[in-house]
Amino acid sequence: MAAEPATQSGASQAPTLHPLLVPLAIGAAVALTLGVYGRVHEPTGIAVSVAGFSSPQTVKVWLASAAALLAVVQITSAAVMYGKVPGIKAPSWAGSLHRWSGRTAFLLTIPVVVHCLYALGFSTLSARTLTHSLLGCFFYGAFTVKMLILPKHDLPGWVLRVMGGLVFSALVGLWLTSSFWFFTTFGVKL
Amino acid sequence: MKLKGPFLTLVTGGVLAAVLLMLSMTAAAKDSDSNAAGTPSPPAASPSASALPSPDASQAPVVTQAAYAGQVTRGAGTTLAIAVKDGKAVAYLCDGRRIEAWLQGTATDGNLNLTGAASASLIGRYGSSAVGAVSAGGRQWTFSVPIVTAPSGLYRSVANVRNAQVVGGWIVLPGGRQVGIVTKEGRPSTATRLNTESLTATVDGTQITAAPQDGSGF
Repeated sequence: MAAEPATQSGASQAPTLHPLLVPLAIGAAVALTLGVYGRVHEPTGIAVSVAGFSSPQTVKVWLASAAALLAVVQITSAAVMYGKVPGIKAPSWAGSLHRWSGRTAFLLTIPVVVHCLYALGFSTLSARTLTHSLLGCFFYGAFTVKMLILPKHDLPGWVLRVMGGLVFSALVGLWLTSSFWFFTTFGVKL
Repeated sequence: MKLKGPFLTLVTGGVLAAVLLMLSMTAAAKDSDSNAAGTPSPPAASPSASALPSPDASQAPVVTQAAYAGQVTRGAGTTLAIAVKDGKAVAYLCDGRRIEAWLQGTATDGNLNLTGAASASLIGRYGSSAVGAVSAGGRQWTFSVPIVTAPSGLYRSVANVRNAQVVGGWIVLPGGRQVGIVTKEGRPSTATRLNTESLTATVDGTQITAAPQDGSGF
């Protein structure tokens, strides 16, 4: 909805960064909103849990791990589509694979972030939780920007790749500061 | 169509988040309801409810090496105390209502490694504060708790009250707030307030004596 004005204003012949402004602003608003909510909202310690796991933490750990795995699919399929993998020509289904693995990964992170924000909140208690909190806010902001600029063909080509890289890096950072930490602290369990 | 795809992804994520948030709010409300209704009425005033600072909080130190106490990072009201002495450590996790776990283990080179009944475990590091993770009863918490000085710290009592085995645990926090559980024949209930000067508490009309825990074991 808010993306429309930017599409019109950036309709010049040479690629400029103008169409990036509105998506960036929206992304920043998303990141800020999440951070402020996580900080202001009193953590409940409780959120809706998913059956079949021993605790909400293990649910999150596995959902996040699945999302991280799909993120690897993301970066791989993107590299193939851009012809960055020598000797491999992008198959016709590479685009679909990229889109659907991305959508699935994003949706898998939603229960995780809801639990994080509702039950735990923005935490500055340790370097790990602070990094995780900041990365979490950044991830959803960056993902929003990436989604909003996808249809914009008047942007320089590198913008989308940089945003994709940022989203990927943020998710890997999130996984390292949560699931990886959990596995190395408590062991691998369901 | 090109615009719709990514936009739909965002909207779907937002809607899913909203639904889960509402379910979580319902879950949290239900939990606090069942807590209010399901908690057996404590024998006397709940110590965890009295946040008044103890005016006579100055007495001889009872924790010789290092004691840590504070709320766990997550989980409203759940409190952890760790006492460390000469390579040994004792920890007590307690929510003042029904969750409690006693753990014992080692404290070496800044590393805590404790275990307790029913595969409870605690891993962490200690120094100017104690940081780590504790799991008990199938749940996990992380913690970052500061050093506390007497009379704040950990107290434990094992007694016989009217032929019933009674184990009491109290975490006394800076400011005088206490979180404790007395387990009588395996049934936990909120502990009555521990007098940190006389080290006594009253259970079912009988006075029991508690010992400050220095970490060397119980």
